[in-house]
Amino acid sequence: MSAATGERSDGGSLVSAPGAVRRRIAFDRIIGWVLLLAFVAVLFPLFDMIYWVGEKALPSFGWQTLTETQVGLGGGLYAMIYGTLLLMVIATSFATAIGIAAGFYTAEFAPPVVQRIGRLAGNLLAGVPAIVLGYFGYIALVLYTHWGPTALAAGITLGVFMVPYVYRTTDLALSNVPTSQREATLAMGASRLQYLTRVGFPIAFPTILTGIFFAMALGVGDAAPVFYTAGFPSAVNQGLLSPTSYLTGAIWLFYSVPPSEGSLLTLGFQAAFVVILIVLGLNVVVQIISDRYRHRFRGLYA
Amino acid sequence: MERSEDQPLPRTGGGAPPSGPAPYAAPPAGGRWVRTGLVSIVAWIPLILLVTVAAVLVWESGLQNFGWSFFSFDYNLVPLTPGQTSFGIGVFVLGSAITAGLALLFATALSLALAISIAVYLPALPSRVLTILTNLLAGIPSVVFGLWGAVILAPYFGLTLEPALHAIIGWLPGFGGPTESIGPWGLLLATFILTIMIVPLTTALMRESLQSVPRDMVEAGLALGATRWEVVRRVRLRVARRGLWTAVLLGFARALGESLAVAMVIGASTTLPTSVYAPSTTVASFIFYQLDSAFTYPNLLRALVEYALILLVIALVVNLLAQRLTRVELATATMAGGLEAR
Repeated sequence: MSAATGERSDGGSLVSAPGAVRRRIAFDRIIGWVLLLAFVAVLFPLFDMIYWVGEKALPSFGWQTLTETQVGLGGGLYAMIYGTLLLMVIATSFATAIGIAAGFYTAEFAPPVVQRIGRLAGNLLAGVPAIVLGYFGYIALVLYTHWGPTALAAGITLGVFMVPYVYRTTDLALSNVPTSQREATLAMGASRLQYLTRVGFPIAFPTILTGIFFAMALGVGDAAPVFYTAGFPSAVNQGLLSPTSYLTGAIWLFYSVPPSEGSLLTLGFQAAFVVILIVLGLNVVVQIISDRYRHRFRGLYA
Repeated sequence: MERSEDQPLPRTGGGAPPSGPAPYAAPPAGGRWVRTGLVSIVAWIPLILLVTVAAVLVWESGLQNFGWSFFSFDYNLVPLTPGQTSFGIGVFVLGSAITAGLALLFATALSLALAISIAVYLPALPSRVLTILTNLLAGIPSVVFGLWGAVILAPYFGLTLEPALHAIIGWLPGFGGPTESIGPWGLLLATFILTIMIVPLTTALMRESLQSVPRDMVEAGLALGATRWEVVRRVRLRVARRGLWTAVLLGFARALGESLAVAMVIGASTTLPTSVYAPSTTVASFIFYQLDSAFTYPNLLRALVEYALILLVIALVVNLLAQRLTRVELATATMAGGLEAR
């Protein structure tokens, strides 16, 4: 009970020795700093990765990287960028149509049992390995249809990969709309569909949008779903039913093709740079939308 | 919302306003065609997709063709005597188990630390920034992880880290094999890449379950004179137990399913690894880089379907287990701050 332990020694009846309190507090402080080391371990790879991709990609990066088609050891990424955008358009349309429709139904109309099954299925679908989906797409959309590798098959496979993200976000956003809004609308005599289209959807829309952008960011970055279905021609895509190249595939290909160094590998790093830019851009958009949304609807979610 | 408030909502005829014992259960007629019509099928679409994937794989797989030898360690696509091909999955399962298991071990430790920091120790602003940064890590494309690991990290692993590990803990089983002679690509590098890749997911899930510990329990602990750490150890970790296990399981499933990044760094060997430095293959990465061979060998194509099926079954079982522990939203777990306003 010395004065050195300060006021806190009054609470020392919980512990045996007076010094123990100080030791416990010191330990608590120290462990707070020790835990921060984990951030170093995780954020170092993040920044190191971005640094090296920039270091390898930027010195020879220019307009011709974006506008020329790759031929032999030279050229640019035009065909891959075009292909990636095309795939994203197909996949996003597919995933958005299905995801939003399913989310609407699950949140508003489905009986509780269907709700539970749908939500579980959505989360399970998100847990299916991308390569399994890709292989499924290869069997169902390339072999069964006798199309061969096509942009459409790849886009749909990628769409299946993105569906659960859009679906779960839509459902969550609609379910999180305050009950008061729903009750007020229904009490005015509106139908559920009217509630959904005029009240529920406008409130949930920013969140749904973040979900779509989030799904797009994941879709841009994952090559596994499209690897088996898109083919990888070096020429620019000729239409929906012809094969297409894409950025993530370029990274893998230019790395794995011997001698896996030199100008092709640099092109691979440049593809990685472009993909990272797209993904970061989409993430920033998500962040901005959700910040604005939180600001705008602050009173609603009090 | 402001938009819709100005204009009055027109009433559709016929429906009685909700009243009586079940006030919100009886909507007016407007929604009925949606409820009963074709549109109701869309709610089943995620399930339909899931079942279709499984059904196609089951239908296409030739499990009968390969029998028990399928579960052996014997993989031989181009044998010396024709007709003796064997597609044992054992080597790949072992590779998956080692990389995903070790990665999970590291990732659990790391993300526990991160989650406790974010949920308990850090002030609001830094914890928000760090949450965004770790979620950003989840958004980095897997192929970029692979490229970084294979080109940038590999020399460091092969020339510095692996020899050092060999010298320091070479007496441990699995850590004593040759290092420089077999190239840097192997189980250890794949484990490292996988660890970094699943940390964002496990961190997000763990943080959520630590933050959802009831406030009164935490405050009761603090009021009794416990330090923050003691509350973490004796209250938060225990109350959030199920959520933490869920995070671990989902991280494991994610690590098992990662194909591309692993394919780039694991070295693509179909023989049993002799140490953690040795090249190997996982089930997912094997499916990924056998594309060209699969076009040449129809047999292999069927075997790959089985591999995919096994991967799917494992992923579904682990995910179901996790969802049984606590209901979590896997799909939106690492989303950048979008769904936090509940």
